[in-house]
This record gives sequence, C-alpha cells and structure tokens, in this order.
Amino acid sequence: MGIQRRLSVKNIICKLNLELFSYLRKNMKILVEHDLNGKMNLFFTGILILILGGVLSLLFRETVKLKFVCLSSVIASILCIISVIKSQGPSILFIPPFGNVEFACDSLSSFFVIVISLITALASIYSIGYMKPYENKNKKFASHCLFLPVLTASMLLVVTVKNAFYFLILWEIMSLSSFFLVIFEDDKKEVLEAGIKYLVYMHISVLFIIAAFVLMSIKSGSYDFSSFTSIFEGNNHFKDLIFVLTFLGFGTKAGFFPMHNWLPHAHPAAPSHISAIMSAVMIKTGIYGILRVLIFIQKPTLFIAYFVLFVSVITALYGIIYALGQKDLKKLLAYSSMENIGIIGIAIAAIIFGVIYSDNYVIILASLGCFLHILNHSVFKSLLFMGAGSVYSLTHTKNIEKLGGLVKKMPFTAVCFLIACIAICALPPLNGFISEFTIYLSLFNSLKLGNASLFISIVLSIAALALVGTLVILAMTKVYSVVFLGTSRSYHSNDVNSDVSIYMIIPMYILAVLIFALGISSLYIADLIKIPYDLFIQQGFNINLLFNIQIILLNISVFVVLFIMFILLIYGIKKIVVKNRVNYETWGCGYQDVNSKMQYSAASYVSPFTSVLTPLFKKISDVKKPKGFFPKDAHYTSEVEDAEEAYIINPIIRLDEKFLAKFERLQDGNIQHYILYGLVFLVLILIGAVFWG
Amino acid sequence: MKTVIINLIIILIMPFIMLGFIKKTKAFWAGRKGVSLLQPFYDFMRLLKKGIVVSNTTSFIANIAPVIVLSSVIFAGLFVPLAGGLSVINIEYGFIIFAYLLGLSKFFALLCAMDTGSSFEGMGASREACFTSLIEPAFFIITASACGACGIYSFNSFNTFISNINMVSLCVIILAVLAFFIMLVVECSRIPVDDPATHLELTMIHEVMILDNSGFDLAVLTWASGIKMVLISSLILLFIIPSSMPYYISLILYLLLYCLIGIVVGTVESGIARIRMSHILEFVFAMTALALVILALITIRIYGG
Repeated sequence: MGIQRRLSVKNIICKLNLELFSYLRKNMKILVEHDLNGKMNLFFTGILILILGGVLSLLFRETVKLKFVCLSSVIASILCIISVIKSQGPSILFIPPFGNVEFACDSLSSFFVIVISLITALASIYSIGYMKPYENKNKKFASHCLFLPVLTASMLLVVTVKNAFYFLILWEIMSLSSFFLVIFEDDKKEVLEAGIKYLVYMHISVLFIIAAFVLMSIKSGSYDFSSFTSIFEGNNHFKDLIFVLTFLGFGTKAGFFPMHNWLPHAHPAAPSHISAIMSAVMIKTGIYGILRVLIFIQKPTLFIAYFVLFVSVITALYGIIYALGQKDLKKLLAYSSMENIGIIGIAIAAIIFGVIYSDNYVIILASLGCFLHILNHSVFKSLLFMGAGSVYSLTHTKNIEKLGGLVKKMPFTAVCFLIACIAICALPPLNGFISEFTIYLSLFNSLKLGNASLFISIVLSIAALALVGTLVILAMTKVYSVVFLGTSRSYHSNDVNSDVSIYMIIPMYILAVLIFALGISSLYIADLIKIPYDLFIQQGFNINLLFNIQIILLNISVFVVLFIMFILLIYGIKKIVVKNRVNYETWGCGYQDVNSKMQYSAASYVSPFTSVLTPLFKKISDVKKPKGFFPKDAHYTSEVEDAEEAYIINPIIRLDEKFLAKFERLQDGNIQHYILYGLVFLVLILIGAVFWG
Repeated sequence: MKTVIINLIIILIMPFIMLGFIKKTKAFWAGRKGVSLLQPFYDFMRLLKKGIVVSNTTSFIANIAPVIVLSSVIFAGLFVPLAGGLSVINIEYGFIIFAYLLGLSKFFALLCAMDTGSSFEGMGASREACFTSLIEPAFFIITASACGACGIYSFNSFNTFISNINMVSLCVIILAVLAFFIMLVVECSRIPVDDPATHLELTMIHEVMILDNSGFDLAVLTWASGIKMVLISSLILLFIIPSSMPYYISLILYLLLYCLIGIVVGTVESGIARIRMSHILEFVFAMTALALVILALITIRIYGG
C-alpha cells in the first residue's frame, strides 16, 4: 500500500516532468528562432533585484529601508545598463500564469533602458536624504519603499516588452505605482486631488491605447509587436486613425497639449525625487510609445507629420508661457517639462518629414536631436527637480515669492541649480544646446523638402523654437534670481542654516557633471549608448551623411572646449587686473531703509510679458487696498490659472458633477434598495440576452 | 590668418569708434562740439585702472557674470562674417551658435542685475528680458528664409541677395536692413527703446541693470554691449556689401559703413523721442512683422509663379 502510494507520487512527478519537457521542446523552436543565449539575463536579474529590494525592504527598520531600496536599485541599474550596452537581442521570459512573453532590447528600447536606469538610480540615492523627515510615517513610508522599485521595474519592462497585451498590463502597473508614489502626503487635500486627477487622466488615456492596440491586433491576428508592422501597407486612413488614437493615449502620458493638465498638478504634489523620476523618465515612456507606433506605421502620412508638428509647437509655447506665470517652483518645472516634450515632438515631426520625403540626412539629424534631447532633458530636469526638492526640504515652501538669497546658505545646491538652468535654456556650452542645435539642424535641412506650405511651417516652427528659447531664459532667470539671489524675502528662507545632506548633494553633482560631459563630448556619448539614430533610415543610406554630422558635432565639441577655456582666460585676466575690491551696500537711489520686501518679485519680473498675454492668463487675484489716512492692513495675492483648465476642463467637470448629482437619490443607504438595483440589473441583462443573444 | 587678425581687431576696437561716432553725432545735432571720437576708449581704460565696489548682497554670480557676458559676445563675433564675407570660424549653422551665445550673455546679464537685490535693477532686468524676447524668433525667421532661398546654411546666405539683384531681393534687402536696425536698437538699448543717457533710474532699461557694477566689471559690460552693436551692424552690412568685391575695398567699405551706422543711430536718437514703455513691445514686434513679410516674399520667389 505504502510502496504503491510512493510509486504513484513518483509517477506523478515523472509525468509532470515529461509534460514540462515536451512543453519546453514544443517551445524550443521559438527559442531557437529568437537566438536566446541569455542575452537579457542580466537585465532580468536587474529587474528581479529591484523588486526583491522593494519587497524585502518591508522587513527592515525605517532608517535602513530606503538605503536598502537604493542599494538594490543602483545595482539593478548598473546591471541593466551593462546588459543593454553589451548585447542586443530578443529574449523570451516564461512567466508562470501567462506563458511566454517576449522581451527584446532593440536599439530604441535599450536607449530608454539606459535613461531610465540612470535617472532612477540617482533619484533613489537622493530619496535617502529627502525622505529622512518622513521616516516616522510608518505605513506610508513602507509603501513608498515598495512602490519606488516597482515603478522603476515597470518602466524598464514597458520599454522592452514586445507584446501589446503585456505592454498594457505593465503600462497600468506603471501608472498605478506612480499614483501611489504621488499621493505620499495624502493627508493634504490638494495632494490627494492631484493624485486622483492623475489617475483619471491616465485611465482615460489608456482607453485610447487599448482601442488602438485592439484595432491593430484584430487586423494582424496577434498581439505581438512584430506582427503589427505589416498591417499598414497602403492604408492611409487606418494609419491616421491608429496614430491619432495612440498619440492621444501616449501624448497624455507625455504631457502634450491639450492633455497636459495632470502634469502641473501631479508634479508639485509628489515628493521631489518622484517628480524627478516622473518628469525626467516616466513621461518619456509616452514618447517611447509614439516612436514605437511610428515604427509600426513605417511610412507615415503627411497628415501625421503636420499633426505632430502643430501639436508640438503649441505644446512648447503653451508650456513655457504658463511656466512664466507660475510662482510654485515645482509647478513651473512641470510646465517646463511640457515645453521640452514639445521640443522633442518637433524633432519627431522632423523625423516624420524626413521619412515621408526619404531624406536620410534629416532623419539622422532629427533622430539624433530627439534622442539627445530626451537624454539631456532627463538629466537637467531631474537635477532641477532635485534642486527644488532641496529648497523645499529646507524652507518648507514651494512658493518662490517667499524665498531669496539662498545662494549663500545653500551654495552646493545653488551651483547645481545654476548649471541645470543654463542647460535647460539650451545655452552653450552645456548639453541642452547640443540637442537643440541638432534639432535646429534637422529643421533647417527639411526646409527644402516639400512645397511652400512645408517651407512656411518649418520656418515658423524654427521661429517658435527660438521664441521658446528666449522665454525659457526669461522663466529660468526668474526662478534662479528670485529663489537664490538677492536677499531673503521671508522667514522661510531666512531660517535656513546649512545646505542639504550629502545624500542629496551627491546625485545632484553627478548630474551636473553629466551635463558638462554631455555638452562637451556629445558625439562620444551618443556613440557609447548607441543612440538609435538609424531607426527610421530609408533606402539609399550613404555613410558620408553620418560623417558629415559627426564633423559638425565634433566642431561643436571643439568650440565648446575653446569657449570654456576662453571664459577661464578672461576670468584670469580679471583676477590680475582687479586689485581693489570694496564691499558696500546695493545702490538704493539715495533711499536708506531698503528692505528685502522691496526687491523685484517673480510676478513683477515677468509682468511686462504676461500683461501682453492677459487673455491667456486667467488671473485669480485677492486684493485689499489700503484705505484711510492710517491704513492698517492691505494685501495682494495673485495666481495664474491654466486657461485650458479654467475654460474647458473645469466646466466639463462641473457639468459632469451636475449630471451625476441627479443620481444621488439612488444612493439612500437602504440595503434593500441596493439589492433591488442588483436584481433589476440582472433581469435587464436576462431580457437583453433573450432578445439579442 | 590675415582675416582672423583683421576681424578680431574690428570686433574689439570698432565698438569704441562706433560709440564715439554716436556721441559726436548727438553732440552735432544738439549744437555742441562734443567729446573726442576716442572718448569711449579713454573711459574704458580709465575704468580698467579703477578698483571695484561690490554690493554686500551679491554672490559669486556678480563676480563671474561680466566675464561670461564679455566672452560670449566676443565668441559670438567669431561666427559673424565681416569684410569680404569671411568670418574667423566659418562653419555651417554658425548663426545658431551666434544667437545662443547672445542668449548666454543675456542670461548672465540678467542674473548679474538680479543678484544685487535692488528693485531698480530688477526693473531693468525684467524690461530687458521681455523686450528682447521677441527679437530671436524674428532673427530666426529671416535667417531660415534666407537659408531656404539660397541653400547655404550660414550667415553668408544674407549675402546672396545683393549678388543677384532683382525686384524681390531688393525688397528683401530693404526689409531685412530695417529689421536688423530694429534689432540693433533693441539689443543695444538705444533710443527709441532705451535712452543710455537718461538720469532717472525708473526709466532706464540697460543702464539700470549695471548700476552696481563698477571698475573692471562696468568696463567689460559696456564693451560687450558695444561689441554686440558692431556684430548686429555687420549683419546689416552683409545685406548691403557684396562679397565678390576685392577684399581691401570691402574692408574699407565696412569701416566706413560702421561709422555711417553710428551716425544714423545718433541721428535717430537726436530726432526721435522715446516710445512709451508700454508700447515698446509693439515696436519690437515690428521686427517680427518685417521678418514675416520677408518670409512671404521668399516663399513666393521660390515656389510661386
């Protein structure tokens, strides 16, 4: 009896083994086809370490938790970067309940893997210092430590998965985990509201993506990305439809106008390293999606090109104009992210024009500009958000009108922030200039591709890019001078004694060094991380084109180095020439009792410009004028509201609320009524099934 | 090598002479004898010898900003073709670098002003930032249309209009000269946008930004502003003087025309009153309007009838 039983257990195990073996053999063919020699093993190890780090962190004490997460995330990032730099090739992961899921690091994916790994690792180092004051919030802190690596892992997987179905699942995990990270301070009402807004936006957007993917998979009969490339041939309307759907979906994530409204709410609400991750890399997954769909479509239509160009130009201008009016530091940075997404969009439009007119030179330049700008923007924008976080963690306010004079109190942060400001203004000699220069080049080269309408639109988008450039200078000088320069405007900045902790300074310095490195040796780095400039290349590619571009970039590198040396030379001359230096007060035009409240404020700094654009700004101002001979109190505050939010979104929400309020009576708290509703619903379904089934 | 040296000399010395001519012209129209043509240079040397007074409020920005302003303006000058259509660094798309280097100088000039924490300088910085913000788009519209018209992607595309003259290119030249003259007036803070000789802080734009700079810093900032004027004048001259001319004749023409532009600026300053502060943006926008007309003309020439 006993022996028989043991045998039967053995039998079962044997049988199971056999089945597994036959299953594997069945799938072997696929494995061999895809040449799986552990190409992405390192990558998956990295993902595993990330998730394990998050889960295991729950076991540790509060003080160690985040350090553990950070350690795992740094290791994982290094593994991921090594894996994509060393090898590219598809890999099939067997996930037990789902079966085989194909992952692959093609050149597009590996670029995004590098950007994501880099920024998330630095942000997790930063978070150790930033989250220190929140360690006593036990549960929230633990969930933060769990979701941070989950977000990173889901982003890494989203950009590598090659199956529409799993893409959507991972996309959803990414949105949800970032939602939980955003609402970290959920005891504040505005944080929760911002979080919910973000969630709603993400779920509306994912509907469009689902629709597009379902349409494509119906046509191709499979969810595999590889099958999507063949379904578009000659079908221009289908191309337009799919592209517009996916653009609405992915564009919401990226922050394109008019689906941008979650950005300026979610970024200020989230903890700063989360804003850094979201703004620097998460919104770029939207760009990844758009580029992926473009690869499916292969030959886009002119409609798509003009559509992208138009939306991008509007996005860039809209973003920077609203960035000018903001007084919330992180909101301003969020709008500036929107502007940069617009610039990336302009580059994408240039790629599409290049593809349509089969001009490889334009394609390479535009791809180079697009990807370099994605990389550069993630570097300087995460640095800016980290700087904003450092300011916030010491002053406890995001209102720049209450800051000032921080350059003397937080010298390290101030220097890093200045470098990032110069970079984001796309000024030489830093990295922002290189990418924007390449985008300009691609636009200039696409001038003569088509007809008059193309010529005019390209010239006007060049002008728009230039206008955006000058407005960024306006916005960034405003931020920097009001936050860091001058004298302190309130106790918030007055009480700061020392700079932030070393954990927050180190990642900022790494990023600042990266900004310089990317500015000086953009060509070398573009080569090192295999910027996928060749994704969209058409037939008849001539290697000389590439040499030509390399020569231009090399010239720029040389020029940048010379320029830095020249600045140092003039500085040296100044040191030699200037012998006497006397300190004295600022010239007050003869007035003696100058105080810090008399400084120019952020709102007044931009007022000559914003006053011209009054129709765009819905100003909410609260004024109490001084009255009588001995006025006691008077105040003035003003806030700028997003025109789209004020005139379109809020009315829709109000209408929606009004409509839904009519159903409020249904919810009367009586359990019998609820059961009745259920019953009625079931009966209706039954009737429906009988008649239409 | 010869052009490098000549260009550098023009970029570095010409600002003083141009400023001298402006002063002399203004003195002439006012019926005065006026200071010597080289007075700006003497002022510069005098300032260099002095020590500097720094505000207590300022940080390292005030220390490095004048240096960066000067170096970026000088470096921008290397990309501008002067006599004979030759520039020191002759690479394609140099005009983008030129525009962004001027942007860098503006960035640091603004920060330098804001560093003092003075409300006057904030006012100046704010005005300068806003009024110059519309210049760059117009500049790029003109450059892009010119590049599109002739297929040369550098400043030398400006030069092609004068070499094959016809009705359209003549119109383009006139409009472009006007547009760049507006750019000169705005960027270099001359009347009718800004009065460099005003004595009331509340009405100043550029002058108020450098109130707290003295000695070396002040000298350097004024010099940089003068260099900017020479550079923008060179852009105007690119439209007027054909590059096919023998080098030395074109060099002499350049030198003469710089002085002429100085005289024109001085005459305009003597003849016109300042525009009201709230209307300056409209004046600046005139450059954009001119640029758009140029764009339309060139589009018609390339693609139309």
